[in-house]
Amino acid sequence: MSAHVKNLKKNFGSLNVLQDISFELEDASITAILGPSGCGKTTILNILSGITGADSGALAGFEGKRFSYCFQEPRLLGWLSAEDNLRFALSSLLRSRRDSQDMGQRIERFLRESGLFEFKGYRPNQLSGGMQKRLALARAFAFPSDMLLLDEAFSAVDLRQKIELMRAFLRLWIDEKPTVIIVTHDIHDALFLADRVVVLSQRPARVEGMLDIDLPHEKRTFASSELSKYEMELYRLLGFDHPDSFA
Amino acid sequence: MPRSNSTKLHPLLWRLLGVAVFLAVWQVAATLVQSSLILPQPWEAVSALVHLLAKAAFWLSVAGTFLRVLEAFFLSLCVGLASGALSGFRPQVKAFMNPFITGVRATPVLALILLAMFWFPSTQVPVFSAVLMAFPVIYTSTEAGIHATDQKLVQMSNLFHVPKSTIFWRLRLPSALPYLLSGAKNALGLSWKVIVAGEVLAQPRMALGTGMQDARLTLETPTVFAWAITTILLCGLSEYFFGILARRLSIQFQPPQDESKERGGQ
Repeated sequence: MSAHVKNLKKNFGSLNVLQDISFELEDASITAILGPSGCGKTTILNILSGITGADSGALAGFEGKRFSYCFQEPRLLGWLSAEDNLRFALSSLLRSRRDSQDMGQRIERFLRESGLFEFKGYRPNQLSGGMQKRLALARAFAFPSDMLLLDEAFSAVDLRQKIELMRAFLRLWIDEKPTVIIVTHDIHDALFLADRVVVLSQRPARVEGMLDIDLPHEKRTFASSELSKYEMELYRLLGFDHPDSFA
Repeated sequence: MPRSNSTKLHPLLWRLLGVAVFLAVWQVAATLVQSSLILPQPWEAVSALVHLLAKAAFWLSVAGTFLRVLEAFFLSLCVGLASGALSGFRPQVKAFMNPFITGVRATPVLALILLAMFWFPSTQVPVFSAVLMAFPVIYTSTEAGIHATDQKLVQMSNLFHVPKSTIFWRLRLPSALPYLLSGAKNALGLSWKVIVAGEVLAQPRMALGTGMQDARLTLETPTVFAWAITTILLCGLSEYFFGILARRLSIQFQPPQDESKERGGQ
């Protein structure tokens, strides 16, 4: 089973945001949508999850799917502890007393895997920026879903925190392997995490090309020569292969 | 830690200094005026107050006024919360309420009290006036509190299908609470002032304002001061206790910023 996006088009008033977007999502895989800032990447996520409608185009394989999210900002409730923030996001699952026990275990598991178990009683303002992002990531994974949408979830942190965050992401992902869509403007996010990269043009966004990265996640590192050929290909698809790009 | 001691001590010292300077100015002015009918000495006011404290009628007046303040505060809270919440969620209600609220705010308290005296028995005149003056304060803060909720958090909650009731108790209420509490505190102070002013004019039995007016009519200026001091103390005390209650409430939602540092320091 896989999901398709076909010839998606979207205008906001007279602003043409999505020109023609088509791609395919493999189940239990990680797809990165890579494109310049402001090209309409978030709009694609909003259409997939049903927050906004498309003007034309077709979606297949998204019906009845449960979605989970990780936003660019952590979006945590400042007055709740780390644990209670997860409990808040999962509260729609509570139906009986047994649910609450299961939920407790689930929360504990995801707090442990994101390395935040010792900090479960801490409120967001007592956590570092990187830890807050990890908590938001743990929340996204803890919410049971078939599809996980990440909107620039790895940006706005320094390199060390970014690598930590990505490692936490892979640790969490291995567990239940939801289908993941990562929206990013950073080539390295895509190279390190994605099985497939969909490269978008400037607005109005078209698909410039697609790249499958056939390298298992456990073999990928940030400084890897094996990834460099993919990196070159991504630069080419983004239109940075001509010397005059730097003029 | 000497540093935290000095930071704790300083505001108290300044406060005491403020009171001392105020009393000194009063004393100097009273000495210059040389007439206890116009401006009594501070000690004359205090001795009048001590004199009052011994009378049962004084305590009955305190109780009567206090009950009126509570009644007015409670009613303002109900009306203000309900109308403010409606306005916060429905722009039409806000537009509908706006002329009324603006009108009430612009109405002088005394005009309101004089009118109320045509409509209500003397015991209820102060309450009615106080509710009309205090509820717009709560109305405004409730409405502001509702808009204070971070819409990004609301969107996040909706995406995770968090039930509406959970969103209310865990997101909307904590976001609005600081506004509600500060509005309620202002409304409480306002209730005291309007209630006593209403009592001065409407003359109900068992009331601080009535005692004040009686003392004025018999030209006992020190006693007028004693009643005024009583009002100030009671208003200050009720605001103080409300502040403690408010802190208790809000501490559940907003921890003190340096909680972790304190924990680390122990």
